[in-house]
Formats: sequence, structure tokens, C-alpha cells
Amino acid sequence: MIEALWNNLDYAASVVLFLIGLYAVIAKNNLVKKFMGLNIMETAVFAFIVALGVVEGGDAPIHGPDAHPPFTNPLPQALILTGIVVAVSTTALALSLIIRIHRQCGTIEADELREME
Amino acid sequence: MEVVDIRPMLAPLISFVCAGLVFATGRAAFWRRFWSLAAAVAKLAVVMSMLPGALRGTVYVFKLVDFTPGVGLGFRADALGMFFAVVSSTLWIFTTIYAIGYMEREHSRMRFFGFFALCVSTTVGIAFAENLLTLFLFYETLTICTYPLVIHEETPEAFKAGRKYLTYTLIGGAFVLIGTVVVYNLTGTLSLAHPGILTSSIDTGTLGLLFVALIAGFGVKAAIMPLHGWLPSAMVAPTPVSALLHAVAVVKAGAFGVLRVIYNVFGVELLRDLPFAHVLAYLAAFTIVTASFIALFQDNIKRRLAYSTISQLSYIVLGAALLTPLAATAAIVHIANQAFAKITMFFVAGAIQRTTGKTCVHELAGIGYRMPYTMAAFTIAALSFIGVPLFAGFVTKWYLSLGALEAGDWWFVVVLIASALLNAAYWLPIVYLAYFKAPPGTTMRVAEARPTLLVPTLICAGYVLLLGTTANVPGMPFSLARAAVQFVFGM
Amino acid sequence: MAYWPHWLVVVVVAPLVGAVLAPVVGRGRPKVVALWALAAMGVTSLAALNLIVRVAEDGPFSYDMGGWEPPVGIELRFDEFGASVGIICLLGMLALLFSYRYAEHTLPTERVPYYYSLMLLNLTGLIGFVVTGDLFNLFVFMEILSLSGYALVAVSGERIAEMAAFKYLVMGAVSSLLVLFSIGVLYSVTGSLNMADVAARLGDWGARSPAMLALAGLSLGFMVKAAIFPVHIWLPDAHAIAPSPVSAILSGLVVKVGVLGMLRVYQIFYAAETLDLTGLNTLLVWLGAISIVMGAFFAIFQEDVKMMLAYSTISNVGYIMMGLGLASSYGLIGATVHVFNHALIKATLFLSAGAMIYRTGYRTLHDLRGVGKAMPITTIALSIGAISIVGIPPTAGFLCKWYIALGAFQADQPFFGVALVFGALFIFVYYIRMVNAFYFQPATHPEIAEVSEAPLSMLVPVIILATLCLVMGILGRIPLSFIEPAVTRMLAPLGG
Repeated sequence: MIEALWNNLDYAASVVLFLIGLYAVIAKNNLVKKFMGLNIMETAVFAFIVALGVVEGGDAPIHGPDAHPPFTNPLPQALILTGIVVAVSTTALALSLIIRIHRQCGTIEADELREME
Repeated sequence: MEVVDIRPMLAPLISFVCAGLVFATGRAAFWRRFWSLAAAVAKLAVVMSMLPGALRGTVYVFKLVDFTPGVGLGFRADALGMFFAVVSSTLWIFTTIYAIGYMEREHSRMRFFGFFALCVSTTVGIAFAENLLTLFLFYETLTICTYPLVIHEETPEAFKAGRKYLTYTLIGGAFVLIGTVVVYNLTGTLSLAHPGILTSSIDTGTLGLLFVALIAGFGVKAAIMPLHGWLPSAMVAPTPVSALLHAVAVVKAGAFGVLRVIYNVFGVELLRDLPFAHVLAYLAAFTIVTASFIALFQDNIKRRLAYSTISQLSYIVLGAALLTPLAATAAIVHIANQAFAKITMFFVAGAIQRTTGKTCVHELAGIGYRMPYTMAAFTIAALSFIGVPLFAGFVTKWYLSLGALEAGDWWFVVVLIASALLNAAYWLPIVYLAYFKAPPGTTMRVAEARPTLLVPTLICAGYVLLLGTTANVPGMPFSLARAAVQFVFGM
Repeated sequence: MAYWPHWLVVVVVAPLVGAVLAPVVGRGRPKVVALWALAAMGVTSLAALNLIVRVAEDGPFSYDMGGWEPPVGIELRFDEFGASVGIICLLGMLALLFSYRYAEHTLPTERVPYYYSLMLLNLTGLIGFVVTGDLFNLFVFMEILSLSGYALVAVSGERIAEMAAFKYLVMGAVSSLLVLFSIGVLYSVTGSLNMADVAARLGDWGARSPAMLALAGLSLGFMVKAAIFPVHIWLPDAHAIAPSPVSAILSGLVVKVGVLGMLRVYQIFYAAETLDLTGLNTLLVWLGAISIVMGAFFAIFQEDVKMMLAYSTISNVGYIMMGLGLASSYGLIGATVHVFNHALIKATLFLSAGAMIYRTGYRTLHDLRGVGKAMPITTIALSIGAISIVGIPPTAGFLCKWYIALGAFQADQPFFGVALVFGALFIFVYYIRMVNAFYFQPATHPEIAEVSEAPLSMLVPVIILATLCLVMGILGRIPLSFIEPAVTRMLAPLGG
């Protein structure tokens, strides 16, 4: 059990990160903190997928005269690049929403907002 | 012999189109009346044009679209369906004339006549449904279309009655739907063209639940006790609506559904081997007696009529549940007999209310002096319910008693006799009050209801006599009932 | 018959181009941008029509982007379920037409072009989601439509709208991450992202825990998107507060992303034959049943018309999930057909309710009393939608009720058939309240009688949709016969 965990430390770490993020999303009262939790979750998933493509001692998969195998798998990295773009736009949207909520209500604490409803 | 013919679909379509025209042009009283009457006449003509063929044994069939292989919107005018269609489209004309007179000063008349036409459209749809799904479709639509009529007064009381009505009938509809789904799942067909589509290879428990689901579903509208609660409350509706609900459309749709379930879904053969029909017969007998008892104590005329309806409807159910040819004849014929007698009574109640403002039995003393023709019609209907020979009700009772003896259940005859006595006990006092208990000083001062109310009443009363005296004349609906029975029992 | 192969690209690219250029084209000209958006959707619809005709004749087909063959290249795939592109285009067109007057009325002029841009982006995401054959693209398109969805909820700029959008965003983002995580797991297991390929390779892998994990992640993620009970909490506010054309798209289509996602999951895992899906099926059936009842239960206590409609969406997604979980051919047919029909019905309801709100400015049942006399056509359309969603024959809603109930009996789970039929009665309760208020109860605000019928650009979509609600009930065989081969193919590994 421990050994399996140790061998897959990268995966285990991303799961832990994911759960930390989920905790923040659920338990934090401040909208910004909630959203930071979401960002942690995103990072966890990205880390997990990038870790999938790692090859022991692998080189950057760049074609050229110096290139020699083994290469790390480039596909997950390409995917995560897209994933990060998505995450950034989510972040931008969320932050702009939070700013506007703050402007209109004067607070970004979830419980106070609920009271105002 | 089956013939493809558009007329079975045309009949419901006419009233449907009529409803559309009423909604489109009905702000003007003339067009409202014109379309309603024209459609009523046109529809009766279409139905009647099929009558000679139906009497010769021709079945008109028209398939519109399939929802799924073998199941879809289909119309089929067999003898049983024709019987119901003839009765309801004949009554529609009279009810329309009556409603024009009755509703003259009411509000929202366009809505009233539009939904009125829709109700009749769906009723004929029920009569001509080729399969159980089409039957369910129209059965459910009927519920929806009657709702605006029930709450026509828009008073809190009316809304309450409407809620009650919908609760009962929609739950009933849900049962029918479940039953239909199960039948399709078991047999792969829903056709009502056979004397029974279920077979004894299905296990008895399933059949029992299915019987309960379908009979409970249709039994709600047929007001079998204890599913009758909606009917007395729905009395808040205007009288033509009550007449429609009680005599023509809603309750008969339920009773007709029960007949279809027993004769065309289960089949007489199968039910004879199972105990369910017997239980239903006892339930019907219980309803007949109990509802009559309750009727005894009702002072409001329309409420008394409502309980009488509950009792009378169970004659049909009892006749069907006895599973003998003679009882079946009685059940089918009673659709017409009860309809004409009951509609007469409702017309009378409505005419009295509109002319004198009286709604309770004890206020009727001496009314016979003022409205002699109306009360004569009432008397005819009352005698028919009691089962006096020469009146329509006698035909039912006679065949039902023979059917009960044929089935070997003599004590159902006792129930029928008890019911006759109870009927006498709650109808005759009204007649007595009207003619012989006039307050001192009452003189013969005739002030009848206006002709639009009186004429339909008298014609319906005339029909009651006609049905009672000429049952065996060829061409009368009775022969249709006989044809239906022959098909069901494979004779 | 030969077909121009590139339509499958056009169907995705056309709305995307429209979306990108909308702010440029429509700067300060709200009418022009509306027409621009309609034109973009027109091209898309043309492409969609072409694709549907082709799939009807030749069966499923695919398109390799840039000529690279899968699993290396990205594949667009069009099967019978892809025909939902048709309904997406139809609803998209009608919602855009409806917005012609509505957007100008509710939004500041300078924001109108962005509104259309977001709408088109949302539709791009939906169409892409349906036609992609690649798991990662599935995620990307899902994010496109989700992000534009969050923004569209907030577009009105009201305080409650922004809070609803935020709630929607958080739930949506978590569910998207679950899906992405599961896609990663599937990739690690199979080394492929192409769905057909993943299904084939999973088969060799056997029922191992990573596949289970992926299944759980995908299901949970899509359930949140579908707003099934108990993860429905984001839906009512978001759908009720968004502008009505947006509500129509969100409720009619965006929620279905969860359902279509579940369908894709089933397609993959049924074909793989490695996992026993009975547990998931049981869960879905139960959650479906609970959603039907709970959605109806909450809706009964609402006063706001659009809130009621939003809760009714939860009930209807419950129908669909139940149909999926029954795993019988009738149940599955019913579920897929309800994806189409519910989209039609819910759009009818939201758009006609929107027209009422536009004209009267009121949105609760109490305030809207008597609107039936003032706006007869809109109210009739709404009533048809109500009758249809309750499942009164012969409307579109009945067909699904019939098939899913039949599916329950076919799968030998009669309890759920009964639960479905009686659950539908619950739904009746609040639609009756609605109809009572609009037609039969005396008006609370007497001035409502002077309100005029909705403008033509709103009336036309509403009438078209209401007519379709009726027609699709009677002509229900058409979508049915279309879906049947796909369902048969999907269930083939189960031996059913």
C-alpha cells in the first residue's frame, strides 16, 4: 500500500491537492477564497495529466539535430496548455463577477450575501 | 366486415373544428350559436350515416398515424362504439340548444361553447377509439377540456370543485396509462378489435393488478364507490355542464371504458375463469344501494341527481361484470336509457332554477301548477328510473335481472328491486310535492321556462318513452347493443 | 449519394466566426448584430440540415480534421444522436429572433453585440460537443458553452443575476474538472483520446479500478451539468434570472449537455463491455425518480413563473436520466427523444413567459393574473407547453412518458414506471396553478387588460415552438425511427 503510494507519489499529490481545493470551495466563506480553491483544483488536475506524460529520463520532445529519444509524451502538455487557457478565462470571468458583486453589495462574504437576498 | 372509411375520424374532427371556429369568431353571439348548432347537426348526420352499415355488421376503420409499430391514433366504429356515439351526438344537439338558452346572461360564453364542443369531440373520440392508447388519449383530453367548464363560475367554491375533479380524474388517468403500458408490454398490441387480447398464459397476480389499474382508472369517471367523490362537488358547474358531465360525456366515458376493458381487453372468456369480475359486481351492487340511500337525504336537487347518477352508473358496471349476454345487453342499453332520463332531469332542474330561482327539493311545492310541461317531463324520467314498464329504465332492469339469473346470482335481483324502491322513495316525493302539495291558494298560472329550455327537455322526455316502448323495433339503438353483445360473446 | 464532406466543419465554424465578429459588426448597431447572428445561425442550420439528411441515408460518418486519421488526428463524428444539432440550430435561431426586441429592451445598447456574441459562442459549444469524436475536444467545447453560459446568466447586470452566475460557475467549474480528470485517467489507461478508440482499448483492459474511477468522475461531472437532484442547486436561480431567450437555451439545451455526456459515457463503456454498469444504472434510475418528485415538489411552492419552469427542468431531466438508467431499448429511446422534445417544450414555455414579462413587467403568478385575455396567443402557447410537459396526449411530452414508462416495465422495474406516471401528476399541480392564474382568476392589476400582444419577433418563435409541441406528439415516429438504430447499436453489447 505504502509502496504503491510512494511509486505514484505524483498522482497521490495531485489527488491531495484536488481535495484541498474542493474543501476550500465548499467551506470558505469568502468568494475569492472559494475561487482560489477552484484554482487549486484546476492545478491539481493539470499536474495529474502532465504527470501522465512523463517518461523516466525523457527529453523535451522537440525535433532537431540534438534530439534523441526517449521523449516525454507531448500530448498531455499540449492538452494542458489548452486547459490553462480555459482556466484563465474562467478565472477572469469569476473575478469580474466578484468585482461586480462587491460593487453592488459591498461585500463578498457568502453568508452576508445570502442574508441580502 | 371492415371498411376503411374516414367517417369515424370525421365525427370527432367536426366538433374539434367547431371548437376552433368558436374560439376564432365566437365573440359574436350569432357565430357562436351558428357554429355550435351546425357542428352538432353535421356530426349527428355523419354518425347516423354509418348507422345502417353498422346495423348490417360493417365496421368502419380509419388509421391516422402510428406512434410506434401497431400503436397509434386509430378510429374504429364498431357496434359498441356506434351505440355510444349515437347517444352522445344526439344529446349534443339538445344540450347545445338548451345551453344557448341557459347561458344567455352568463360571462365568458365563448370559452364555454368552445370547450363544450371540445368535450363532445373527445367523447366521440372515446367511442371510436381503435386501440387503448387512442382511448386513453381522448380520455385524458376529456379531463382537461371539462376543467374550464367545471370552474366556469370562477368562485372559490368552483375552483375547489375543479381541483377535486382534476385530482380524482387525473389519478384515474394515471392508472389507465399504467394499465395501458402493461398491456402493451405483455401482449405487444393495444387493439380493441378483438373480444379480449389478454390470455390466460399471463400469471394471475399480474392480471389482477392490471384489472385493478384499468378498472380503477376508468371507474373514477364511472364514479364507482369509493371513487365517486368528485361528482357531487362538480355540481357547482352551470346546469348544461352538469348535464354534459352526468349524462353525455364524462361519466359515460368512464362506463364505456369499463365496458371496453371487460369486453375487449380482458375478454369474457378469460374473466369467467378469474374472480375479479365477481368482486367488481359486488362493488357495483354496493354502489347502487348506498348511493341511492345517500340520495334520499339530499335536499339540493342537483346533489340528489348526482347521487342518483352514481347509483345508475353502477347498473352499467354491474351488467358488464356479470359476464352474461343478457346482462351485457342491459349494460350497453343503459348507456342510452340513463343518459336520456338523466339529461331530462338536469334540464328540468336547470329550467326551474332559471325560471324561479329554486334549487332545493322542499321549495318545489306546487311547482307543477306553474310549470306543468316541465314537471311532466320530470315525472317521465322519474318513472323511468324507478323502472316502470313502458319507460326506458324498465328495459335495463328487465334484462339485468334476467342476466343476473342467467349468471346464477339471484340476489343481484334483490339489489335491483331494492334500488327500484329507493328510486321511488326519492323521486316520487318530488312529483308529489309538485302536483299535490301546492300551498293553499295556488292557482293554475302557467309560467313555463322559455322555449329554448323547454323544447329540449320535452324531446328528451319523449325519447325516454320511445326507448321504453320500441326497444325491439329494428333500427333502434337496441339492435346495435345486440350486435355488440353478439360480437363480444362470439355468438 | 455524394455529399460535400466539409459541412461537418462548417457546422462548428460558422457560429464561431459569427461569435468572434459579432462585436465588430455590431458596434453601436444592435439591430444589425441581431441580423448578423441570425445569418450565422442560418448558415449553420443549412449545414446541419445537410448532415441530418446524410446520416438518415448513409448512417454515421466522420471527418478527420486536417486529413489526419484518428487516433492521431482529431475526428468529428456525426451519428444519429448528432441529429440533436438540428434542435440546437432550431432553438438557436428562434431564441436569437426572440432576442431581436428582448435584448434591446433589457440590456444597455453597448452590450447588445456582446450578448449575441455569447449566444453564438454558446451554440458553438453545444454543436461542437455533439459532433466531436474526441474526448479532449469534448471538454473544450463543454467549457466554451459553460463559460458563455455563466456570462449569459450575469448579462442582465442585476445583483441576483451575478450571484446566480457565480454559483453556477463554481458548480460548473468543479464538474468540468471532474470530467477533465476522468478524461486524463482514461487517457492514461488507453493512451488514446478518440472515443471509439478508447472504447475499443478499454475492452482489452478489463474491469480495473482506473476505469471505475473514470466512470465515476465522468458520471458525477455530467450529473452536475444535468442538474439532477441533489446536485441541482445551481439551476433554479441561474435559469430563472437569466434573460428569457437565454433561459430557453440553458434549460432546453445546455442542461442536456449533461445528458448527452452521459450518453457518450454509456456508448464508451457499453462498447467496452468491461464494467458492470448495473450500479450506475440503479443510481441513475433512483436519482431520476427522486428528481422528478423533488423538482415538482419545489416548483409547487414557487410564485415566480420562471422559477417554476426552472424547477420543472429538474423533473424533466429526471425523466431522461431514468430512461437512461433503465438500460432497456424503450427507456433509452424515450430518454433520447425527450432530449429533443423537452428542448422544444421548455423553449416554448420560457419564451412565452418571457414575452409576458416583456410586455407586463410582472413575473409572479399573482401579478400576472388575467394576462390570458390581454395576450391570448402567448398564453395559449404557454398552455400548450404546459399540457405538453405534463404529458397529456397527443402532445410531444406524452410520447416520452409513454416510452420511458414502457421501458420501466420492459426492464422489469415496474415500480419506476408507476413512479414516473404519478410523479407527472405532481408536475400537473403547478401548471394548473399557472393556467388558473392566467385565465380564470380576476386580475390583480387592472391595467394588465390594456397590455397588447407580444411583438411579431417574439410571437413567431413562440407560435412555431408551440405548434411543434403538438405536431411532434402526433408525428412522433419521425425522431423515433431516426433514433432507433443508434439505440439498438448501443445496447447490442448487452444482448438486448
